[in-house]
Amino acid sequence: MSYSITINGQAHQTDVDGDMPLLWFLRDTLELTGTKYGCGMGLCGACTVHLDGDAVQSCLVSVGEANGKKVTTIEGLSKDGSHPLQIAWLDNNVSQCGYCQPGQIMVAADLLKQNPEPSAEDIDTAMEGNLCRCGTYLRVRKAIADAAEQMKGGAK
Amino acid sequence: MNTQLKELNAITRRDFLKASGLSAGGLIIGVSLPMGVLGAADSADFEPSAFIHIAKNGDTTLFCGRCEMGQGISTALPAAVADELEADWTRVTVLQGDADKKYGPQDTGGSQSINKMLEPMRKAGAAGREMLVAAAAKAWSLPVADCYAKSHVVYNRKDGRKLPFGDLVELAGELPVPGEPVLKTRDQFRYIGQPLQRHDQDEMVVGKRIFGADKKVPGVKYAAIKHIPVLGGSVKPLDKSKAMAIAGVVDVVVIPRFENPYGTVGGVAVVADNTWTAQKALDALGVEFEAGENGSFNTTEYKQQLLRNVEAPAKVEFEKGSLDQAFKDAAKRHSATFETGFLSHSPIEPMAGLVWVQDDSCEIWASTQDPQGIQRTIGAYLERKPEDITVHVMAAGGAFGRKFKCDYIVEAAACSKAVGAPVQLTWSREEDTRTGYYHPCSAHRVEASLDADGNLTGWLHRAAFPTISSTFNPASVQPSADDLNAVSKHLYGVENMRVESGMARAHTRIGWLRSVYHIFYGFVINVFTDELAHEAGVDMAQFLRKMYDNNKDPEQQEQIKRSRGVLDKVVEMSGYGKNMPAGHGIGLAVHHSFASYAAMAAHVEVKGNDIKVHRVDCAIDCGLVLNPDIATAQMEGAVTMGLGFVLHPGISFANGAVVNSNYHDYPIPSVGEAPTKINVGFVGQQYRSTGIGEPGVPTTAPAVVNAIFAATGKRLRSMPIKLA
Ligand code: FES
Ligand code: FES
Repeated sequence: MSYSITINGQAHQTDVDGDMPLLWFLRDTLELTGTKYGCGMGLCGACTVHLDGDAVQSCLVSVGEANGKKVTTIEGLSKDGSHPLQIAWLDNNVSQCGYCQPGQIMVAADLLKQNPEPSAEDIDTAMEGNLCRCGTYLRVRKAIADAAEQMKGGAK
Repeated sequence: MNTQLKELNAITRRDFLKASGLSAGGLIIGVSLPMGVLGAADSADFEPSAFIHIAKNGDTTLFCGRCEMGQGISTALPAAVADELEADWTRVTVLQGDADKKYGPQDTGGSQSINKMLEPMRKAGAAGREMLVAAAAKAWSLPVADCYAKSHVVYNRKDGRKLPFGDLVELAGELPVPGEPVLKTRDQFRYIGQPLQRHDQDEMVVGKRIFGADKKVPGVKYAAIKHIPVLGGSVKPLDKSKAMAIAGVVDVVVIPRFENPYGTVGGVAVVADNTWTAQKALDALGVEFEAGENGSFNTTEYKQQLLRNVEAPAKVEFEKGSLDQAFKDAAKRHSATFETGFLSHSPIEPMAGLVWVQDDSCEIWASTQDPQGIQRTIGAYLERKPEDITVHVMAAGGAFGRKFKCDYIVEAAACSKAVGAPVQLTWSREEDTRTGYYHPCSAHRVEASLDADGNLTGWLHRAAFPTISSTFNPASVQPSADDLNAVSKHLYGVENMRVESGMARAHTRIGWLRSVYHIFYGFVINVFTDELAHEAGVDMAQFLRKMYDNNKDPEQQEQIKRSRGVLDKVVEMSGYGKNMPAGHGIGLAVHHSFASYAAMAAHVEVKGNDIKVHRVDCAIDCGLVLNPDIATAQMEGAVTMGLGFVLHPGISFANGAVVNSNYHDYPIPSVGEAPTKINVGFVGQQYRSTGIGEPGVPTTAPAVVNAIFAATGKRLRSMPIKLA
């Protein structure tokens, strides 16, 4: 069977096994490695992408389930790294090893879309599923708050 | 990565000197580490291990052999070089060197990079500046004193004429390299001490940073592995057909144990067209194992055994004064028993790497802290010379000591050899959790005596834990005198002391984890100290100050002063000693490790069994701080990791195998557990720079446990803690 998935605006046809998690389709088949593997069980958030606009953990979504849908990965979040979150991430020097950060940013982007003015509690709740072994959480919180502030200004 | 580095790595060291000297266009200054001998590119028998290259257009490149794993070393060190060179930071690029002896030792651990490399690297930068200034002086026929460098340009003091660095490299290259260039004084620093942005942040936020798990080469195959779960066990005979029947499977590779400290415990791998197919086929195989000699290892019993081994007198490894007399004369004696658990590194990027073994070459792309260790280990495994193994150092998605070892690379090599193709091996999280080089569990029996004035007069410390040495030498069955140094040399200056080592044979692989044995020493010593302060009727800060005052050992005076410095600072930052609302408490801890000094105060709230760490204040003395923002981030990370060590369940074993599997049963701290505030204060900046990656870890757990006591009056003596 053949599947068609639009990834970062580009249509892809594939006949891989429909049970293959989207994560591995992205990483191994398409070689889009910005989406990371950390646990394969929906526990770490490193694999987060947007599926038809909503944040999902791509280790838990199969290629078959993504059929006919639009996927955005970290590589497609913005054309040139100019998403307010990406800028806030740089301004706050959030990354240590950086491995978890694509997943953090993809979840944060979803949060700000749904809740442009999140409280500190909203941020913690939204980010709870994204683990960072380097311990960058304080900066993740701050960067999201900064980006929200920035986007509010932009909308005025 | 980039062609410049590729070319440089493709040539031998001697050719390097020729090829990258003036003939390649530009000025090269080499520095051999760790001695810091400087030299020019064209001297025949000089073998530099780090390089500064300034091209004719002024673009400046630093080659650095240390491994970046999140601690910011590839920013902090080059910034210091750029400062001495008077380079413009925005024109400096940093390249990570592949594995090669020309970079000197490349193993990145023990918070040693800054400690050992800073001075020599600064000298190299200063030498470059002096050569460029001398070149300009020559061009203008002026005395050197009339010229100075600033931000990639040399100026003429007399008439304001100027020449950019790039225009001077040719002339400078003809000048001798100064042996002892004059380093900048602190007031002249432009980058050292500034919160410069890390140079590697940009690619991280767009998903372009290539980690070991991300590397691709044409024709790459993907592997998944199941390890022999019990150390020394074996794979039962196997029917490969169930895996081979799955479309996309290339081969099933049985990998025997490779008994080498960095080798593999052995297992079964499947190589396929993609990782998922390999994982699926591996499951279909239904691999079974024989447990072998460690099959009855079980953490509950093992810990009880260790506790028994520290109850009775054990092997004396250190003694001073007369402990028996001190105990006899004591106004008060206090004793306690502590236990700590096995811990796993669990970086979010599991063990992963890409290996291509061919008849006449072996090329490796790995997340690693020790590329030369890979050369040695794979050389031994393939029976080839280490220098015939090419290792490209990829960004590591967290390492914390685990990626010193290269068992995963051995396994990828076995797969590549078997299938005759490049193989990318990514361990599953489960394999990562269960196939570690664990931080060891430990048991401690501590007893101390106080005189009538509350002075500490005697200290008995008996410790038992399986050692890191056991991984290198199975005959190591208990801590050595060196392994007990954190106790025998600690800074309380107790006059009567005995330190004993209890038996603890290892049944699993033991390894370095960020701050190593200091994790439990920091815990035990600080919690016990808080207990003693309580016995003496003072708070811990007062008790510590008294002990520091009593310590007259001339060799420890600087260490005491610096410990006291961080203590005073953290008391001031946190308000330690002030009244707290019911259920809240502040706990203190001070620890010296890796040549740095850390003090922490944790503000904790306890509600039933719920523990919330609201705020942590940290004072750190790591000498001169190169980049305060990176140093602060390291402390934030250390606190967060330390919280996990004390609040989350450890690794446990049953029937020889690890019971935990993934982040649900070996949880690591999440954002909700991170304190609202982590304040970091720096003291002791007049001292030489020392490490920051590890020294913040040991104080976190005891500060939290002491805070729990302050909040509830409940004494906890295990890590992870057991409430109720
Ligand atoms: S890899 Fe998908 S949540 Fe961890
Ligand atoms: S930055 Fe290393 S895991 Fe998050």
